Amino acid sequence: MRRVLAWLLPVLSAASAIAADAPPRRVASLNLSADEVLVEILPPERLVGVTRWADDPDTSNVAGRVPATAFRFPKADMERLVALSPDLVIVSEYTDADFLSLVERSGIRWHRMEGLSSPAGVRNAILALGRAVGAEGPAERVLARYDATLRDLARRLGDAKRPRVLYWSGEMTAGADTAIGALIETAGAVNVGREMGVQGIAPPGAERAFVTDPDVILVSSWPGGVQAVKDHPLLGTLRAVREGRIVVMPNPLLVALSQYTANACWDLAARLHPDRIPKDRP
Amino acid sequence: MNEAHRRRVVFLLLIAALPAALSVALARGSVPIPLGSLLSSMASNLGLPAFASPLEPPAHSIFWAVRLPRVLLAALVGGGLAVVGAVLQSVFRNPMADSGLLGVGSGAAFGAVLAVRLGWSARVFLALPLAAFVGAMAAIVAVYVLAHVAGRPSLQGLLLTGLAVSALASAGTSVLLVATEEFRVKTVLFWLAGGLEGRSWPHVQIAAALILPGVALLVALARPLDVLSLGDDEAGSLGLPVHAARLIAFTLTALVAGAATSIAGSVPFVGLIAPHALRPHVGTLARHLLPAAFLAGALVVVIADLGARTLSQSLDLPLGSLTAFVGAPYFLLALRANEGRG
Repeated sequence: MRRVLAWLLPVLSAASAIAADAPPRRVASLNLSADEVLVEILPPERLVGVTRWADDPDTSNVAGRVPATAFRFPKADMERLVALSPDLVIVSEYTDADFLSLVERSGIRWHRMEGLSSPAGVRNAILALGRAVGAEGPAERVLARYDATLRDLARRLGDAKRPRVLYWSGEMTAGADTAIGALIETAGAVNVGREMGVQGIAPPGAERAFVTDPDVILVSSWPGGVQAVKDHPLLGTLRAVREGRIVVMPNPLLVALSQYTANACWDLAARLHPDRIPKDRP
Repeated sequence: MNEAHRRRVVFLLLIAALPAALSVALARGSVPIPLGSLLSSMASNLGLPAFASPLEPPAHSIFWAVRLPRVLLAALVGGGLAVVGAVLQSVFRNPMADSGLLGVGSGAAFGAVLAVRLGWSARVFLALPLAAFVGAMAAIVAVYVLAHVAGRPSLQGLLLTGLAVSALASAGTSVLLVATEEFRVKTVLFWLAGGLEGRSWPHVQIAAALILPGVALLVALARPLDVLSLGDDEAGSLGLPVHAARLIAFTLTALVAGAATSIAGSVPFVGLIAPHALRPHVGTLARHLLPAAFLAGALVVVIADLGARTLSQSLDLPLGSLTAFVGAPYFLLALRANEGRG
């Protein structure tokens, strides 16, 4: 084995060193957020792989827009990845270090999408991704629209009264340091999950959620989301539910951690503040 | 056919089947690789003349950097777990014994979840398997120390202490999982379900450094293990230092099982079915049973991992689920057959 490694590692290291000097020509993505950004900032021929979720209209904001030539990764498959011969692979915040070591040993550079728990973090991640793939200009153009949407939204919201919103999904809520929590707050509302002291996405317990008496319940458009709240023996009796204030957010927007985060903030704000925010951004 | 002849046939079958399974596992995968080319590539790297067309660059990298270490790991993990099962069944004189009784699986799971929860697994190479290994070792040490608090324990006392420590570790794992973000939880679930995706040569080196010497020492201890299987009183009357022998056996099985579990996650039933299937054919003597169990366990996990990689185009099936799908029905059938004979 030592002979094999002694022969193999210099070859792979050399390949990696050569690739490290030039902007990547073949980019593969194992992360849906990166898929959504790369579809807009890279020429189609340079995007060689995306996740299978990129084509799923219930999850992705770019379904139907991914180049047909890009391979759809059904899973984080190392063999398929190597076979595509990418210069750079985009991975997730939680991709484990052992997998990344194997990526490096296969002579492939990687870039991690991270810090996506707020609109500012998403902005930084898009900028970093643009630099990593050698597409700073297109990334900055995407971010110009992103910034303009969020600025316009903040201006229109002004000092509007902030409703208290509880996100609910399968006994879980979104607390502090979550993208959904940040979405609620940017859309001009108070995140009840944070009020409860929840950190991350966690189950606070229905009784604790019930006594918070939120003004609005936020659920995903995923099948069964609304019904689960209405049928819940305790949450079903909440004032917000009785008065019909359940906001159903399209799932691709609710889970968007890309330039579509700005659209998600606008969409939710329009549902919470219809007097101030038009449904379609002018 | 007498027992010695039957044993020879079984060994010959295992010795023939394992390289065949390894070859198929090396050739099959998301990207098929011609068997002749990969054997030729291996030969030329060992200084032998190449005899087939060389591997093209992507296939070359896939084979040497991804598939070969994975398949070798499957063999090491399977062989190690089967030997551990055979030894513990002998020491505990209990056909249901495996490494889970010592708290290995639940201790390793706690360590793995902690590494994911604290973000080490995403930042530090080998953090997840090392944390799992430390968790497994901590659980075993806890079992041994707690069982000895009130003097030298009976086998039943050890078993019950193992159950209690496993339950404590599982409870800790549940608390950590509830307090962990859902994306990180998915990483843990993949690990808990067992699998070898993303493992590379350093994992092989760690597994080989712990599993191969551990198995070799257990095989070298075959005679004391056979004496231990007679029971404490009989073993003591034959001059065996029972507690010292048991401690050595536990230490070695803990190292082997801890290494296998920390690398591959939960791979159930291998330690139960391999020794069970072999005992009627190779006998109960450890010097025969342990090498045969190593070969059979390696064979089972290499085939199971091949299935995990190739049965579905859309996802890597959990290795642990595949061994359980095959192992649980086999085990139930064997149990029924034994009861029928009884």
